[in-house]
Amino acid sequence: MPPVIDKSKCDGCGVCVNICPEDIFFGSEKKQVPVVAYPEECWHCGSCKLDCKRDAIRLRIPLPAMLCYDTEPLTK
Amino acid sequence: MKREVIEADVICVGGGIAGLMAAIRAAELGAKVVVAEKGNTLRSGAGASGNDHFFCYMPDVHGTDMNAAIAEWRATMVGGKVALKKGMAYVRTWFGMSLDIVKLWDSWGIPMTYRGKYEFAGHAFPGHPLMRLKYSGQDQKRVLSKEARKRGAIIRNRLMVFDLLGDGSISGALGIDTREDKLVELRAKSVVLGTGGCIRLYPSPTPGWMSNLEWTFGLTGGGRAMAYRAGAELVDMEMPYRHAGPKYLAGIGKATWVGVLRDPQGKPVSPFVKEPSRQYGDVGADVYQTVFEDYAKSGRGPVYMDCRGISDEDYEYMTYWLEQEGNLALLDHWKDEGIDPRKHRVEFMTYGMTHIGGVYYNDKTETSMQGVYAAGDEFGSGISGAAVYGWVAGENAAGHARTATPPAYGNDLIEDRESLFEDIRSREVGPGWREANVALQQVMQDHAGTVRSESSLNAGLNHLRRLKEKARSTMIARNQHELMRCVEVLDLLDLGELVFLAALERKETRGKHVRPDYPFTNPLLDGKLLTLKRVGNSPVIEWKETSR
Repeated sequence: MPPVIDKSKCDGCGVCVNICPEDIFFGSEKKQVPVVAYPEECWHCGSCKLDCKRDAIRLRIPLPAMLCYDTEPLTK
Repeated sequence: MKREVIEADVICVGGGIAGLMAAIRAAELGAKVVVAEKGNTLRSGAGASGNDHFFCYMPDVHGTDMNAAIAEWRATMVGGKVALKKGMAYVRTWFGMSLDIVKLWDSWGIPMTYRGKYEFAGHAFPGHPLMRLKYSGQDQKRVLSKEARKRGAIIRNRLMVFDLLGDGSISGALGIDTREDKLVELRAKSVVLGTGGCIRLYPSPTPGWMSNLEWTFGLTGGGRAMAYRAGAELVDMEMPYRHAGPKYLAGIGKATWVGVLRDPQGKPVSPFVKEPSRQYGDVGADVYQTVFEDYAKSGRGPVYMDCRGISDEDYEYMTYWLEQEGNLALLDHWKDEGIDPRKHRVEFMTYGMTHIGGVYYNDKTETSMQGVYAAGDEFGSGISGAAVYGWVAGENAAGHARTATPPAYGNDLIEDRESLFEDIRSREVGPGWREANVALQQVMQDHAGTVRSESSLNAGLNHLRRLKEKARSTMIARNQHELMRCVEVLDLLDLGELVFLAALERKETRGKHVRPDYPFTNPLLDGKLLTLKRVGNSPVIEWKETSR
């Protein structure tokens, strides 16, 4: 849900800071690796990941948002 | 606070699908257009990272007799019921223009075909017309922003408009920059409201994780709140809506899955589909969103989306569209956790409450206030309605701007807001926006939730009014970003109060508005809208006929 930025890949271009709908990178400095200042306002829209040209962002799903799933056999 | 003044013919408040379509149309008709967007139009609103269904009436597919197609749609409709509340003229324009907009979008670079052909699927009953066109919407906002700019519209990102200026008719709007300490006065002859839906009045399914919501976190009903404060009419504010989708990972939706909703024993929970169908999905969750909650409460749950056994082709089809719909988080999560819907059934749930009522607008997108137009989810419309009526709003707003003489307005409102914001920014101790938002969600859920009665609604309303005053006089913000959130919460507090007032007035049980003290659905209220309008400082509530 909040993005995790791979510092070794990020070149500080600022695209994610520019486009984030919720401005969760508020206060990030130009040409620096962005700071996720407001992670709890992230809505997991994935815009930052979509627009990152260096594939430096992944979305971390918080524990409370993990999917419930199972493989129980069904008796149809 | 610093001040800035912007002048335009047409201001689009919100740069989502509706706002950008309005900007495109108004600008190509020669109006000077400014789009004020709280986020960034490249990736903002409910369509930020994509969509995959676009309602479209296509005569070649649905028959050339549009009236017959409308009659069939009414008989088997899934969603779209709000359209009927705006009147049949609205429905006819929507049907009549949808294909033109599809062709426009395709020509601009939003792919509206799949493998070279128009493809209709989802949100439909087997054996009945399919009216949702599959489209690749992942980059729709980028394309629409480019088209708006190409026609000369000016896009101001990180500018949150929160109030309308004028006296009876419109003179402009007032906003704050969300990154620097600045109040912005926007003078205009027409305003198009397109701020989207209203969320965050009720809690998310996850305690303590407020942003785990079915729609974008920042959609806080700003358009509704500013319209009401300026004297425009709101409708249906009390009517709840419950969305549904994967359990705990809200915001993913349900219609793009190729699977069947089944109980733990494998029995389908709806009578509509028995086997997974890429063409139909499972419409059960569209007509009965609370099936998940009802099954859980009655000990029959959980209910699963069961895609097991689908072909690799169907799996690829489903994941392609989930990606186009903007579900990257889901797809990444599957990968990270080794979840494979071909092998695993995924639990679904009914999410919290929300309301889709809002700013009343007709088939010309006119609101009850002269010079103020509204489109899209200001009163629930979905993507296709936002696109069609954004276009209509742009045309009418530009037309109005050619002859309008905006009335003069005083400085009182501007000074009041400036002083309020300076207080919020300068206080050192007090509740932040989140604390106030949680308090609001709590009273909404407990007193205007799934069960409502006169005594509980009155108790909640009293509490909310105290809360509103307290929030206004004590909230703190450490920076402009937090000030933006505080302004959102003040809007939500205004809207919450209106929900209470309207819920008290609707003395019947209808849909998810459940009044045990009035357990019946009153047939005399069929086809009527409950309207709310501010006159002086008081809300006036009135019943009106749907087709006006």
